[in-house]
Amino acid sequence: MTIFLLNIGFGLVTASVLSLLSVGLSLQFGVTNFVNFAYGSYLGVGMMLAYTFSETLHLPFWAAAALGTIGTGVVSLLIAEGVLEPFARRRKSLFYMLIVTFGLSLVLDNLLQILYGVAFFEYPVTQTSPVTIGPFSFTQAQLVIIAIAAVAMIAVHLLLSRTRLGKAMRAMSDNMDLARSSGIDTKSVTRWTWFLSGCLAGLGGIVLALNIVSFQTNSGETLLFVIFAAVILGGIGQTYGAMLGALVIGMVTEISTSFISSAYKQDIAFIVLVLMLLLRPQGLIPAKGKA
Amino acid sequence: MSLILGYVATLLVTFFTYNIFVIGLNIQFGYAGILNFTVITFMAFGAYFYAVFVMPHADNSSQIFYILGLHWPWPLAMLAGIVASGALGYLIGLIALKRLRSDYLAIVTLATGTLVYGLFGNNNKLFDGWSGLFNVNQPFQSVATNHPNQFSWIFVVFSGLIMVVVWLFANRLYASPLGRSMRAIREDQDVVDSFGKNSFKFRMMAMVIGSLIVGIGGVLTIQYIGALSPAGWTTGETFVVWAALLVGGRANNLGAILGSLLVAVVFNEATRYIPQVPSHPNLIPNLRNMIIGSLVILSIWFRPQGVFPERKASFLEVPLVDKYAQGFPGDEPDSALSPAASEA
Repeated sequence: MTIFLLNIGFGLVTASVLSLLSVGLSLQFGVTNFVNFAYGSYLGVGMMLAYTFSETLHLPFWAAAALGTIGTGVVSLLIAEGVLEPFARRRKSLFYMLIVTFGLSLVLDNLLQILYGVAFFEYPVTQTSPVTIGPFSFTQAQLVIIAIAAVAMIAVHLLLSRTRLGKAMRAMSDNMDLARSSGIDTKSVTRWTWFLSGCLAGLGGIVLALNIVSFQTNSGETLLFVIFAAVILGGIGQTYGAMLGALVIGMVTEISTSFISSAYKQDIAFIVLVLMLLLRPQGLIPAKGKA
Repeated sequence: MSLILGYVATLLVTFFTYNIFVIGLNIQFGYAGILNFTVITFMAFGAYFYAVFVMPHADNSSQIFYILGLHWPWPLAMLAGIVASGALGYLIGLIALKRLRSDYLAIVTLATGTLVYGLFGNNNKLFDGWSGLFNVNQPFQSVATNHPNQFSWIFVVFSGLIMVVVWLFANRLYASPLGRSMRAIREDQDVVDSFGKNSFKFRMMAMVIGSLIVGIGGVLTIQYIGALSPAGWTTGETFVVWAALLVGGRANNLGAILGSLLVAVVFNEATRYIPQVPSHPNLIPNLRNMIIGSLVILSIWFRPQGVFPERKASFLEVPLVDKYAQGFPGDEPDSALSPAASEA
């Protein structure tokens, strides 16, 4: 029983990491209406940028992490402006957009490996002994991760419900043509969306690296389909659905380790994805016209 | 001289097997519009299942473990490998082909690839984990005993014959009513549905036929090399097949031949001779992957129809062009799926 409760605690940590990532993917999908298969590589960009800022510029770690987050947003914006949006304008076929992002993931992954090699890295944060809270036990880093995710989720909620930008994003997600004819500057909203999606991917990558302590450039790559699982579970393109999906996938994968080897965590996520596609492909919170 | 002959044989076998992979993907993507982002997993399935059917029972004292070990004769084992690959295609199709957007299928194929890779690699009871299978029984060993090149050249003929059969089959399929239905689904599934065709069935057939063909290529690969480990089927390899198809021209099997010659043979082989950088042993493979990824992106930008575009069926038509007609949102005259229109 204690192990079971402990795993619920770890589930909360995994769900926190996943929530950042799946909300970032979902925001972008909602606005641009194609899946970005290079998203897994953005995690690596965030991890390595934060590492580089803290090692070469000797910044305190929180500042390096903040710079890494914004840096990934900028990288995401540059890639969108330089590659993806021109493609979307020129070739509207969904097939080609997916293949282009898929190709982009190969380019980015290998570029990161050329720059940083295949070595394992660690952030310069001191490892503390776990803190016990009730039946749960967290390291300090994990508590920070949960706090970051909670703040980020509230921020995303406020963005979507209170600001002009957020409302414009929701409008574009519902109906692109209607949004454009209502006078929304769809180009600038799309730019902001790519930037925010990149920031969330970078931040997600950094907290993922904090959680697993020692990481490689491609540590985020295998997480890509777990993120997809969370996004599809919640209903693709639905931001609040993505939060819910992240919570469910995070909990299910971690709790499963009470019963089976933790090596099969990802397989559990895959089974959830398959069940969801078979039973309720529109997701827990379906979005109109997306499935 | 014999060294060069052996090398040429290897190049030819590489060319033939990649050609088979590309034709398999062409049936899935080029004919039916199915995005399979893990072509190479089907190759691995074919190869591994051929191996465990043809090899003798695993000798546990040697610390090499694998399932089955049935020691079947190689033609039967070959069939088993091909069927295994087709079965994987069927399973993926069951999950993702029904009523879902193409993104979902792409996600499911990618997820399956990641999963199978981890499962086969981490679990050394299945197919001997990361070290993979080796000393896999090769065919024609009883006739090719004199010289290693003898086996290579017998195999060139063998794989060449299979490639020709696959090629003829794929062309026949393209022109058949079944192939026409597949292409119609690729262009607009709703139209096909409204004509009362069961588009799920046709897409599933394309998925399974393509998987079977990629499985044939996988079996040939392991028959020729005699070994395979997970390092031989990473995501980068899937891209080689995609790049070959897109460069050559999708939905045109002539393009498949040209693409596999240019990308899989010329480009892949040429980069093998670039000297290694001692401090960065992975630099050349990484650069090669980057170039292949860029090649995919650039070919879609500049010539999405490939070097050999698909030959559209031409009908006797009254040239009625209404230049004031309004298109539907999202389709444009030079839309990638109708390259013929841009030339008109």
